[in-house]
Amino acid sequence: MAALSDQRLIVVSGKGGVGKSTVAAALALCFSKRGLRTLICEVNTKERASVLLGHPEVGPEIKWLEENLWAVNVRPPEAMREYALMKLKLESIYNAVFENRLVRYFLRFVPSLAELVMLGKILFHLRERNADRPRFDRIVVDAPATGHAITFFSVPQVLLDTVPPGPLARDAEWMRDLLVDPAMTAALLVCLPEEMPVNETIELAHSFERKVGLHVAAVVLNSTVAPRFQEGELARLAAWPSLEQLAKAHAQRAAVAEELGKKLATQLARPLVSVPRLYLPFSRHALEEVARHLSPLWEGS
Amino acid sequence: MSPSALSRALASADTVVCVGSGGVGKTTVSAALALRAAVDARSSLVCTIDPAKRLANSLGLEALGNAETPIAPERLAAAGLKAGAPMHAMMLDMKRTWDEFIEQHAPADVREQILKNRFYQSLSSTLAGSQEYIAMEKLWQLRTHRDYELIVLDTPPTAHALDFLDAPNRVLDFLDNEAARWLLTPALAAGKIGLRLVNLGGSYAAKTIARFTGAEMLQQLADFMLAFSGLNEGFRERAHQTRSLMAAPSTAFVLVTGAAPERLDEAVYFHTLLCQHEMHVAALVVNRVHPPVASFDFEAAKQLPAPLKDKVLATLEENALLAAQDLQGIERLREQCAPTPLLEVPRFSVDVHELSGLWRIGTYLHGDVRLER
Repeated sequence: MAALSDQRLIVVSGKGGVGKSTVAAALALCFSKRGLRTLICEVNTKERASVLLGHPEVGPEIKWLEENLWAVNVRPPEAMREYALMKLKLESIYNAVFENRLVRYFLRFVPSLAELVMLGKILFHLRERNADRPRFDRIVVDAPATGHAITFFSVPQVLLDTVPPGPLARDAEWMRDLLVDPAMTAALLVCLPEEMPVNETIELAHSFERKVGLHVAAVVLNSTVAPRFQEGELARLAAWPSLEQLAKAHAQRAAVAEELGKKLATQLARPLVSVPRLYLPFSRHALEEVARHLSPLWEGS
Repeated sequence: MSPSALSRALASADTVVCVGSGGVGKTTVSAALALRAAVDARSSLVCTIDPAKRLANSLGLEALGNAETPIAPERLAAAGLKAGAPMHAMMLDMKRTWDEFIEQHAPADVREQILKNRFYQSLSSTLAGSQEYIAMEKLWQLRTHRDYELIVLDTPPTAHALDFLDAPNRVLDFLDNEAARWLLTPALAAGKIGLRLVNLGGSYAAKTIARFTGAEMLQQLADFMLAFSGLNEGFRERAHQTRSLMAAPSTAFVLVTGAAPERLDEAVYFHTLLCQHEMHVAALVVNRVHPPVASFDFEAAKQLPAPLKDKVLATLEENALLAAQDLQGIERLREQCAPTPLLEVPRFSVDVHELSGLWRIGTYLHGDVRLER
């Protein structure tokens, strides 16, 4: 069975610097090319996905990038405003109340409200409908790195545990329910074939599943190196120490990649998709190369 | 070779704060600096806050508690090293540090009330900026209560550079706010809870917030703030002290980054912010740099028989490409972060997680060896 079937919300996370944004952008591109109306969300960060896709930065409003593909960088102030307006209906009330110093102070003090409204915006678009169909078929979230991702996606549950029953708790509840529904939401973890990222990915998968309740659908092992040199070939390079070292380093990297791939597969028991290391400068072309390698995610292996 | 600018800066520093975005090798650089100090006969402590236990990995330890753990001399000996002074490592448990802080500073009658309060629990574990704040708080504690000659703080993987630099201000703001005082002062004077809140309760603004959050939540929040208000004075004092520790001449910041183009903007931005905050940036460390490929290697490879020749040439070309990309990034960093000294640490063929590897990184940081260009 394919790792990603009909889940409509795909959360892409992993250790810092492993290529989350690249994989998220490539995945969104795959969906859009398959005719699925796709929104890629970045979470209050320096925008990468839209730029990787070859478009200018999009900012906090949803913008159309190309056929079937939209992007947004979700930021707290705008998300808060949208959320409040949805609750209060009237802009004049928003301005009178939310621009009040005292009120602003209170709202800042409400634990994790900024995260809640950002997550709320993403999940609102997940439920949003245009006529008789969802506005977006797929939403890809270029999520924060490990620790921040756990905090971010735990927010609805944390609020449910913290705040008394009321409007805020009701919102936290439907949001939590969408996140923990494996038919709706899938997490995709990105990892590098190096020891520390692999250890961190295993811990992250456990935290997502046990603490947050997110279903981890697959792991993308990015920048893998395929074996190139055979045993005997290294020995034949003995007369050229720098070449021998180079070839050895390559062989070692390939061996480590293979070993760590196995470790991930056995410890997590999840489909593993490898994206080979690309020796290309960042460009739309490089991104399409990455996208090409992601197809086992829905085709199954 | 002459010692690096970082080496010279460290000699007069007693506190080092390693900053940078996630996944650039901050933890390894921090541990390498502490290890080097211990071998050079300066007692050291490396303090990490990372939830992924990366430091434990780097030092080959099973786990670190919220306690300063000595690194056994045998471990160093196994790596061919000899410590001239003790080296310690610790992993910061944020929740515990917050609890200890409350136990130490809160008046006895409200201590339990605070520790049990649901708002406190989220403040101490999940609130944005609270990790960064408590890391600095711990650093201050260690600096004032311990006599390590060098303390290296490995900072949390901050989503935004500003979160870290702003943390003391944010916590201060949080407690030392005009609005909070307006709400709480009369209640404190009257010895009653939420006096103002009762007044506020009738107001238009409060009714509207209540529609948003629920009225009970406002009351609970007021209770929490009231219980917490006894701590405000202490907090204010500590936050000022932490801020002055960050700006002290004996505190050196080390900004760690990778050379890959997608990381550069963040590093430059972080550097600008540090300078704006008048923090002393001792060095910019570019980690995991691909070393250049010598042209005679290409010449030698061309003499090899096929198919070995093609394999070696392909490998050389890939490496040359990565090296060229890195060099481009480094030049840009050097230019945009001038005059901060820039140090390159090469990418090693395997992940560094052994003391010997940490030592090797240290030799590049201290300028014993340099990447040949």
